[in-house]
Amino acid sequence: MSQEMTPVNSVSKNFYPTYAFTNAYIIIDYKNQIENGILIVKQDKIIDVGENIEIPKGAIIVNLDGGYIYPSFIDLYSSYGIKKSIKKKPSMYPQFDSNKEGAYHWNEAVHPEINACDQFSINNEQIKNYLSSGFGVVLTHQQDGIVRGTASLVSLSQEQESNVILNPKTALAFSFKKGSSSQNYPSSLMGSIALIKQFFLDAYWYKNQKDVINLSYISYNENINLPHIFETNNVLDYSRINEIANEFELDFIIKGNGEEYEYVNDIKTFGFPIILPINFPKKYNVSNPELNRSLTLSKLKQWETAPFNPRILYENDIKFCITMEGIEKSEEFFNNLKTAINKGLPKKIAIKALTHIPSTIINQEETIGSIAKNKKANFLICSGDLFDDGKIYENWTNGKRHIINKKPINDFRGYYTFHSEINEIRNFKLSGSIDKIKVHEITSDTSLVAYKTDLQNTTLLFSNNDMSFRGMSEYVDGVFIGFYENDFGDMIDFKLQLDSTLIENKNESKKLIDTIIPTILSPNKAYGIQLKKEKLPILFTNATIWTNEESGILDEADVAIKDGKIIAVGKKIDGKILFKNNAFSTIDLKGKHLTCGIVDEHSHIAISKGVNESSQAVTAEVSIANVINPKDHNIYRQLAGGVTTAQLLHGSANPIGGQSAIIKFRWGSNAEDMKIKNAKGFIKLALGENVKQSNWGDNNTIRFPQTRMGVEQVFYDAFLRAKEYKKEWDTYNNLRPHVKRNTSPPREDMELNALVEILNSERFVTCHSYIQSEINMLMHVADSMGFTINTFTHILEGYKVAKKMKIHGAGASTFSDWWAYKFEVNDAIPYNAAILNENGIVTAINSDDAEMGRRLNHEAAKAIKYGNVSEEEAWKMITLNPAILLHLDNQIGSITKGKDADIVIWSGNPLSVYAKVEQTYVDGVLMYCIKKSKQMEDRDLIERMRLIKKMGEDISNKNFKEIELEYEKIYHCETIEDYD
Amino acid sequence: MIKKFKLISYLAICLIAINSNANKPILLIGATAHIGNGEIIENSLISFKDDKFDIVTEANKIRIDPTSYDTIIKLHGKHIYPGFISPNNTLGITEIGAVRATNDYNEVGDFNPNVRSLTAYNTDSRILKTIRSNGVLITQVTPRGGIISGASSVMYLDGMNWEDASAIENDGIHLNWPSVFKYSGWWAEPGNTKQNKSYEADVEKIKQYFKKAYAYFKFSEKIDLQMKSLENIFNGSSNLYIHANYAKEIRESIRFFSKIGVKNIILVGGKDAINAINIIKEYEVPIILIRTHSLPSSEDSPIDEFYNLPSKLYEEDITFCFSYSGDMEAMGSRNLPFTAGTAVAYGLDKESAITALTLNAAKILGISEKEGSIEEGKNATFFISNGDALDMKTNQVEAAYIKGEEIDLYNHQKELYEKYRK
Repeated sequence: MSQEMTPVNSVSKNFYPTYAFTNAYIIIDYKNQIENGILIVKQDKIIDVGENIEIPKGAIIVNLDGGYIYPSFIDLYSSYGIKKSIKKKPSMYPQFDSNKEGAYHWNEAVHPEINACDQFSINNEQIKNYLSSGFGVVLTHQQDGIVRGTASLVSLSQEQESNVILNPKTALAFSFKKGSSSQNYPSSLMGSIALIKQFFLDAYWYKNQKDVINLSYISYNENINLPHIFETNNVLDYSRINEIANEFELDFIIKGNGEEYEYVNDIKTFGFPIILPINFPKKYNVSNPELNRSLTLSKLKQWETAPFNPRILYENDIKFCITMEGIEKSEEFFNNLKTAINKGLPKKIAIKALTHIPSTIINQEETIGSIAKNKKANFLICSGDLFDDGKIYENWTNGKRHIINKKPINDFRGYYTFHSEINEIRNFKLSGSIDKIKVHEITSDTSLVAYKTDLQNTTLLFSNNDMSFRGMSEYVDGVFIGFYENDFGDMIDFKLQLDSTLIENKNESKKLIDTIIPTILSPNKAYGIQLKKEKLPILFTNATIWTNEESGILDEADVAIKDGKIIAVGKKIDGKILFKNNAFSTIDLKGKHLTCGIVDEHSHIAISKGVNESSQAVTAEVSIANVINPKDHNIYRQLAGGVTTAQLLHGSANPIGGQSAIIKFRWGSNAEDMKIKNAKGFIKLALGENVKQSNWGDNNTIRFPQTRMGVEQVFYDAFLRAKEYKKEWDTYNNLRPHVKRNTSPPREDMELNALVEILNSERFVTCHSYIQSEINMLMHVADSMGFTINTFTHILEGYKVAKKMKIHGAGASTFSDWWAYKFEVNDAIPYNAAILNENGIVTAINSDDAEMGRRLNHEAAKAIKYGNVSEEEAWKMITLNPAILLHLDNQIGSITKGKDADIVIWSGNPLSVYAKVEQTYVDGVLMYCIKKSKQMEDRDLIERMRLIKKMGEDISNKNFKEIELEYEKIYHCETIEDYD
Repeated sequence: MIKKFKLISYLAICLIAINSNANKPILLIGATAHIGNGEIIENSLISFKDDKFDIVTEANKIRIDPTSYDTIIKLHGKHIYPGFISPNNTLGITEIGAVRATNDYNEVGDFNPNVRSLTAYNTDSRILKTIRSNGVLITQVTPRGGIISGASSVMYLDGMNWEDASAIENDGIHLNWPSVFKYSGWWAEPGNTKQNKSYEADVEKIKQYFKKAYAYFKFSEKIDLQMKSLENIFNGSSNLYIHANYAKEIRESIRFFSKIGVKNIILVGGKDAINAINIIKEYEVPIILIRTHSLPSSEDSPIDEFYNLPSKLYEEDITFCFSYSGDMEAMGSRNLPFTAGTAVAYGLDKESAITALTLNAAKILGISEKEGSIEEGKNATFFISNGDALDMKTNQVEAAYIKGEEIDLYNHQKELYEKYRK
């Protein structure tokens, strides 16, 4: 045996008995079991397991009488034994630098040098919960920050820490949450993503350089081969992590979130193993019908569908293990586990997900994960099938026994005859559960009188309600022998003799459990779609067509679409010839108007967790493309307003903001499919009060710049840095091959990459701007750096510098009539669009607002009112012109052969306040239809009523939440939030 | 105030006679007149003398003597509307949202029934001049914030000073009834909206306050500015505007104030009015609606929830008017006519939409005796639009009159337009 490393304050204890558990139903692993087996254990190891194996001499034999043995469970997502890091109270002032001292990463949320094993100490409170839930081993880490550090595999036993840690550095952990860091950066989800990506770039670069010492990168590079665990906050994070995985060729293990069913096909494709929580949503208190109106369909559906999540993953062949994370009590853990099984998760798969899978994911299958020779003695002794009504009696971890539930000595339930020494004969019934007996007296009229009962091992105490009978008896050889005390203090002996055991007429009519997976809508909420929609071949006839082409507005004309494209525009199109006798449908649009889809050059809908990375003056590295929220219901609302394409812009909190996403409103698709594949890259720049933080209160007077003078310098500095950077890379790239091989590459910087793209005219600028002076200034900056400002957005004083803009080559995307909300818009006029347009500038009208975004046709019509723009020109301001500004006019923005079939059918002239959208097609797919929309409302209402009723009927769980109102998070340019 | 040269510029179409006798009435012929009470006169003849309409009729039903008119304006193909009314707005008491010094609508403290917007009204507000050029000629200048924000006044969008511009001084008190739900976050970090645990307590606070005010009304001894300012809601000479949205709030507030003896209760907001329709009908409470151009109240709500709320209320026979309260309400209120246009697109009859913008608003605010419709004896507060004024495509206001005087439609924005369009 091993030597003692720690001095012992007594005589040394070096005897370890061997235990032999016999008569056991042993679940060896998720595939195999032994019906009548023997398990032999010594110290912390399994010595042997099998059917007729030899029991070593001197072994302590424990007869389990048919009890079950399971390998104990493994939880890979735990913070057991690690102190919670507390978020420091954020300062009133911005914090740019890390408060952590030493040669570490510049950001407080990035700390790969943190090791769980350094922080670990046994926690006797937490351990109980894990043990009673059947866990033997957990992978624990400090759940704080973005690059979190290493996780340790620890055994759940109460010994010295040195014996408990099975593997000090088992995995690395990551998340998008900055946690306790009080540093400003990142202030958005896209900032977190950029920070992680830059971290991986820098870690790689660090290996090949000798100039700098940074302990964070050293730590990460040392541990780089460990499994990387990445936490998700919701189902949309999967594709975000997948992108990182692909870019850096990393394999991640994902900490799931319970919403996987919603995008299960994508998740299957990604191929990540998942650590799956089963903290299913609690039901709501639905007793107040008025409040129920605030309970959204998405929440109701989530409640109904979440318990099916494990089964759905299984049926899609997705590898997953189960974590207890998010569940506080072991009863709830088992309840939920059983619910998942009732909903169709096979028991074997549940066992697999609790034992085998977690052990293999972290490469520890040699020591844990099943009951096998030489593995750790981690196992559960149970009364029976744990996923039925079996109970854990003992949880052995590291060879140490933990009693979870006392095993009842005997089943005393039955009918007994009571004989006392004074010849009383009475009848008693012992019923209840095996370890919680209830005594009733059966009276002469066969009614039952309950007694207060207390069974302690073999001692049965029972007394009647008025305490006139106070009995005590002990179970000896099949009979309870004892005495009772009466009111006179007499002690009267009695015997209780078993007549017959209790025949339980258990209520077998167990509640019918529905095992049909509920319909999952895309997205799974109101107006979600049920089936993937097709690109229809359609001939629209007799419409007033706003072509945006030279042909202008055509009366009583036809448009044909097929495979998502417009294939013909003209009068009297013969569908049979055009579609070559293939099936197509004809839609007669007599009296209706047909236009291309509206393009919103400036939108902030469909964005997850932060539209501004407001922490630094230059954040060109972040991208809205990483944080598209395809589930935003504003997408559907805007389809109902005829909008089909939008540029989702970064906000305007800093001079150089983040990169845009250009999407089509393909309602029901995932984030990736919403992006327009061949769209050019765009980036947001901003000027004026927002970037100088004029309206952020008196505490935000620290970040440079605070004046328009400073703003100019930020731009010059950024682009000069980018030029230097470009030079550095060009030099490196032009080295002769043999020299290059021996030269370490320059550091790759995502921020500067984006700026170089601007300089190279590979990425286009949309600049938030108001005042003429600053607009003028930025054009000078761009001219001197050799690029063009593609679009000035808002550009409310554009009318004052229209001629200069024309010379520079900038386009304009403006509000129709907003003004006076801050000082810099005091000279904003609604005639702006008209003047810009007259000056030959490509002029668009944008929304920047979720409500106005669905009425952009109104906004365009205001250009007629203010400045007499013609109807055709006004209409182009929300279609063709923004398409030109987005470099997408070869694909969208007009009704002409070959362009995308993004088509809107209007009840009348689309520039009239009285016009309504009747249908909206995106790529030939009908995305909105005014009639179907009403049908969907009815569908959703019925579904809500069904679910509310079901929720009210559910008595399985007495806990419920109070109804909350969904907050509509509407972003504008200026929305700043602190992202966690 | 009449600027003759301006008048002439648009009268070029037909000017029959000019005689500079100021007391002679002005005659408008041929316009489509939207009376404001739901009626429409296609070929109208309207005349006004001094500040009042004296003839409103169909042109072919009456013979008139042209010589008795100073000015005869032919308006065939054009539209005449009563001045639109923009209730529940901060127009005139704010100038630039982000500049604190220009904001005069939110006083410190929870209960401020005694503060009144009237005296802070800036008749030369730059914003104001851009609003009236779209046909909005009357506004209810309303304080914000707290539980009782203060007293509003109904003001014309023209005048030399606030006394001059006032249509009704202190028309009513504005009360923000507690919300059933409470935001758990703040603007930058919105959390979920939880049930307001202090709702009952907050309501009780209001009830106690008004019980006290009623006691004061009955047996006042000393002057208490706050209590004194509430007397008029008990004697019926001014309105109580209850800002409430959720059905429970609407029900409870209406019941309480009716019971305590408040005479004229007006509901403001009323997002959820359809779900509290019975009580609104029972107590005949009119509504100043939330902005029609609002996002639905939840992701489950029909996308046109507020677009068709006016038509639903109309079908329920509720008296309502439009308002533009909310984000950028002052500068945005020039779009008030178009929110009515949207309501028309979503089922409301066009003349009823105009009634809501004019006569119903006037009734609700208590000025229908003299304003709100083009009727004989009422103030000649109206405007002429080249086209349909509810549609931004055709809303072209050519002239506007307040109490018979033509107002200047020029504004800061037109000035800049003219300067820079060259």
